[in-house]
Amino acid sequence: MNTYTLPLGPVHVALEEPVYFNLTVEGETVRNVNLTSGHVHRGMEAMAAQRNFVQNATLTERVCSLCSNSHSFTYCMAVENVTGLTIPRRAIFLRTMAEEIKRIASHLFNTAIQAHIIGFKSLFMHTMEVREMVQDLKETVYGNRMNLAQNCIGGVKCDLTPEKFTYILGVLEKVEPAVDELREIFATNSMVIGRTKGLGLLPKADALRLGVVGPVARGSGVAIDVRKNSPYAAFPELKFNMITHDDCCIYSRTRVRLDEIFESIGLVRQCCRMTPEGPTTKHLQRVPVDEACARSEAPRGEVFYFIRTYGTDVPQRLKWRVPSYMNWEALGVMMKDCKVADVALITNSIDPCVSCTER
Amino acid sequence: MQDTLRDNTYITKNIAVLCANGGDVRHSTDAFSNPFHWFTLDNPRLLTKAAEALRNAGARLCMITAYNTRQLGDPMQQVCYHFECERAIINITVILNGEWPTVPSITPLFANADWHEREMMELYGIAVANQPNPRRLFLDEELDQGLLKNSVPLSVMMNGASSSALWERILSDKGAAS
Repeated sequence: MNTYTLPLGPVHVALEEPVYFNLTVEGETVRNVNLTSGHVHRGMEAMAAQRNFVQNATLTERVCSLCSNSHSFTYCMAVENVTGLTIPRRAIFLRTMAEEIKRIASHLFNTAIQAHIIGFKSLFMHTMEVREMVQDLKETVYGNRMNLAQNCIGGVKCDLTPEKFTYILGVLEKVEPAVDELREIFATNSMVIGRTKGLGLLPKADALRLGVVGPVARGSGVAIDVRKNSPYAAFPELKFNMITHDDCCIYSRTRVRLDEIFESIGLVRQCCRMTPEGPTTKHLQRVPVDEACARSEAPRGEVFYFIRTYGTDVPQRLKWRVPSYMNWEALGVMMKDCKVADVALITNSIDPCVSCTER
Repeated sequence: MQDTLRDNTYITKNIAVLCANGGDVRHSTDAFSNPFHWFTLDNPRLLTKAAEALRNAGARLCMITAYNTRQLGDPMQQVCYHFECERAIINITVILNGEWPTVPSITPLFANADWHEREMMELYGIAVANQPNPRRLFLDEELDQGLLKNSVPLSVMMNGASSSALWERILSDKGAAS
């Protein structure tokens, strides 16, 4: 059978952001995947080298929308590492809480988009409705639905009153059974199962070879989670499980995300109970000439920041790597010999973020 | 801190020997006692050996950072490779200068190095020897390689936006057209 090249994107109804696939197709079957990106490259790392440390907390929060909090969080940790700043305990817990609330919303969004691509519109709307409760929570507590602006160098900006903690616990009481219901649908509905089980395979050996992280790695049985492997913030004091599934398919990755939502709900509840009284910020004293790294577990996996200072209030170099950066290459393995109709669904299963990748 | 360093003896020993003649080795921890090891290799050619030692130890490549150490004049550049191994972050820096202008590719050892190497080639103009896939990553072929390596005069960057130069050029073009 003859092969031909099928272009997909950069603007496509099933792609959230612009990316261009050149698929080598034989009949209905994809034989090779070639990826061209760069449509939303904004030169953010060059911009960061022209802004001071405080301005960069705002800039890094705008790298991405769904994991915006993870960027400012990790950036602040990198600055704190390079300056030797230890933040107050209350701030450590409040940061952790904001991060986990964002994770719940991010995982629900990805799951909703999966239902949308499958064509299961009512499930898409149902999932988005559940997510809306978390969006309302963010708006009520932080004043913003997406960019929480919670992290600052030395602590957090938004302190929470006891009433807010009670409110959060109340919302989680409603979110938890709703997500449980969703998990049941995603696990048993024949339409969802038919499109996700056994498709988009990423064997464990390939996951390790390509260095993928986050739910993509954990869905292929690779036990990697920065919160467990290299604990930071309040995670060493909190109880939670690392979720892994080893089916290596789209369904496996969705299960990791849905199960993780329950772990995140548990983490937020623990934070509500355990957050100690005290100050929420500490002043930055001086900036030495040095370099430091920091990493954290964003909803999509490990976010890595490197900062190099030369004694001024502007970094000499600020570099970051997002989880999607490696996950794109894994698509080549996942799409090998898949049907053209499954390309968008497989792409969604890595929870892709183009803005993050290209910066 | 000594405990956290002891866990990585194999790596620290194997890489420290590559930094013995003019290189540098130091160790640090963050506020949560996570260890960071910093190595500056004697020369970029030793990178392959360091990467092999890390691969044998089961390390994972996290990121590669390229940067200029001088803004103007001196063309010195550095590349820092960040690896993760048994909860420690191992940072390996190589210095590129007139004597050692290229760095070997580690993509044959770590598949995910491909994108990082291509990015530093297009943005910083760093020469990566034996890169198996030396295509552009994000930027179009029409843009010059190594944009962040060059200093652009402010007047060129502003394109006459802060003076009357641009306006006069438009006026003269308009005059020529009519």
